[in-house]
Amino acid sequence: MGFLALMIVGYSLGLGFALNGIITNYLKQDDSLLFVNKILLYYFGFEFVMRYFMQNLPALDVQPYLHLPIKRSFIAHYLLSKSLVHVFNSSVFLLFAPFTLTLVARQWGLSAALGWLGSLITISLLLHYLIIYYKKKWDDTIVGIAILVGVFGLLGAADYYQWFQLSDVSVAIFHRSSTILFVLIFSVALLTVLYWLNFRVFVSSMYGDEWSSQKDSATEWGKYSDWQFLQGFGAYGEWISLEIKLILRNKRPRTFLFVSIFFLLYGLVFYRDRGTGHAMPPSTVLFAGTFITGAFMINYGQLLFSWQSGHFDFTLTRPISMRQFIESKYWLLSATTLLAFVLSLPYAYLGWRIILFHLAMTLFNMGINIFIIMNMAMWGPQKIDLKKGGAFNYEGVGAAQWVMAIPILLAPFVFYLPFKFIFSNEIGILAVGLVGLAGLALRPYLIDLTAKRFENKKYEIAAGFRKE
Amino acid sequence: MIEVKGLKKVYKTTTVVDVESLTIGNNESFGLVGNNGAGKTTLFRMMLDLVKASAGVVTIDGKNVRGNDEWKKQVGSFLDEGFLIPYLTPNEYFRFVGNLHGYSADDLKSFLAKFEVIFHGEINGQNKYIGDLSKGNLKKVGIAASFIGNPQVIMLDEPFENLDPTSQIRLKELLQAERKLRQVTYLISSHDLNHVTEICDRIVLLEKGKIIKDLRGNTTLAELEEYFKA
Repeated sequence: MGFLALMIVGYSLGLGFALNGIITNYLKQDDSLLFVNKILLYYFGFEFVMRYFMQNLPALDVQPYLHLPIKRSFIAHYLLSKSLVHVFNSSVFLLFAPFTLTLVARQWGLSAALGWLGSLITISLLLHYLIIYYKKKWDDTIVGIAILVGVFGLLGAADYYQWFQLSDVSVAIFHRSSTILFVLIFSVALLTVLYWLNFRVFVSSMYGDEWSSQKDSATEWGKYSDWQFLQGFGAYGEWISLEIKLILRNKRPRTFLFVSIFFLLYGLVFYRDRGTGHAMPPSTVLFAGTFITGAFMINYGQLLFSWQSGHFDFTLTRPISMRQFIESKYWLLSATTLLAFVLSLPYAYLGWRIILFHLAMTLFNMGINIFIIMNMAMWGPQKIDLKKGGAFNYEGVGAAQWVMAIPILLAPFVFYLPFKFIFSNEIGILAVGLVGLAGLALRPYLIDLTAKRFENKKYEIAAGFRKE
Repeated sequence: MIEVKGLKKVYKTTTVVDVESLTIGNNESFGLVGNNGAGKTTLFRMMLDLVKASAGVVTIDGKNVRGNDEWKKQVGSFLDEGFLIPYLTPNEYFRFVGNLHGYSADDLKSFLAKFEVIFHGEINGQNKYIGDLSKGNLKKVGIAASFIGNPQVIMLDEPFENLDPTSQIRLKELLQAERKLRQVTYLISSHDLNHVTEICDRIVLLEKGKIIKDLRGNTTLAELEEYFKA
């Protein structure tokens, strides 16, 4: 984290001094200030997303202080002001201060320029407290996610369908020296309101039982996690439905699930502007296809056994064979891959060939990659705490987890490339699909092998999980 | 019948468990005592095939526990929180374990009714996850779940720890009542000499992984107190 912070500071500082030069020389914009003012709102949107992922709630174990003669309001103020010491709060200043003093001051005069910079800094701080408020109130709730997706979706749609252009709004707000002072006053007022809101939430949440657990959100998600129909599948259904509860009722696996859903959209970035159908480089699709159809499998699978680390002994002592256990994991991961394939069908809009690629990758993921993941996940898994949040949480991520993605991404190319060079693209893709099918056909045998390996490694894994 | 032969667990150079031979007959009530670090839990874990023995075997009804899952239907166990699933409510947990043993809804109901004396209205029907329960209630859930499926063998580690006095007394009664009802072998480890001698007709004393006393009869408690005083 320290390294990352240093990087952000370094980049902001460097970019800050080079900002004007980059805009005029590389982006060929005549009016640097107009250009900056156009993109400011996008920049703040980006900052919001970055903050969402990287900024944590100000944490202080307040319990030891509550019984001492310290006012609750003092603790709340302390927490809120301490939280300001964060690398993101320096970015705006570092990025725009040089630009303000040189260019903006020359065009607008010093006082308006300082007002402009002041507005930007205030808005950045506003985002800081907005994130805290959001995380404290709504993070990880269905309403919270709906709001977030709704707001960003609407803004995106508005921009895309040209209801209004964010850049125009941005210019209207920031690009006028005579009104910039009002923008500053308005944002300071908003900042005060947000601070006050946060303060109220912090003071009122300062009771011991609030920390002990995240009951509310747990039960909220819990309601949706009882999938009775799975009982029809016997013992496998039981274990799979147990694992679905694990995923939906615990914060970290749930975050993995959301991230995987975002990976479905990965193709929009990759496939866009590459022409449809024939023009698209097949290796790109193969690469993106691995992620799109296998995102959850790869993400969740890297910690496949760590998820159960807290109750691994349960799994080992209850009447279930290790083969059944492995097979239930297999079906769960396969099902998510199939589901991702179905959800990715709309990509046909960008060319039906994409669907063939995705189909080949789905088969390959189900036939080959799953087994790579399951076997690599047995390599020294570590204990994890299910309740801790998911973003930038590296608990349980060991050497195996870092390198795991490499064989998974390379594996399809091992079969694709030779056939591509000897025959053609189509035959190459066909080969990938057929290898996947072969893996599927050999499934019982491969599961047997995996289960046997697991049987041998279970003591080591269990001992690792018992270590605190 | 449980048989332990030449069972050893060695971590690097220290021997944690070293049991030459131990036979626990059907319907026996077997207690395991010893100070911290005596190897009680490790011995239990090896009997459950959770820890790989450095040497020796454990058999249940003549079958090696290693590489074999059949005994799991006949052995109910609760050693610590690792045997519980924190993100289920107690009822969901009981239902899940019940399903593994082919329980019907009625079976489950009568099971819950039997344990209500120790649940005390705080577990059955509560909409709270196991992970949010107090230590005492966790223990109750785990002990109760080890009875699901009416296993021949029930293995409990420190069952009285963290329980309130009422529950301790009721649990003792429950354990004794079960033995009158059907054939069941208990394996119970405890630091509470009074409780464990009351329930168990045989007590084995472990020191540094070795069995140093194998006691039966009325003088057991006195002998144990003599040992622990020293």
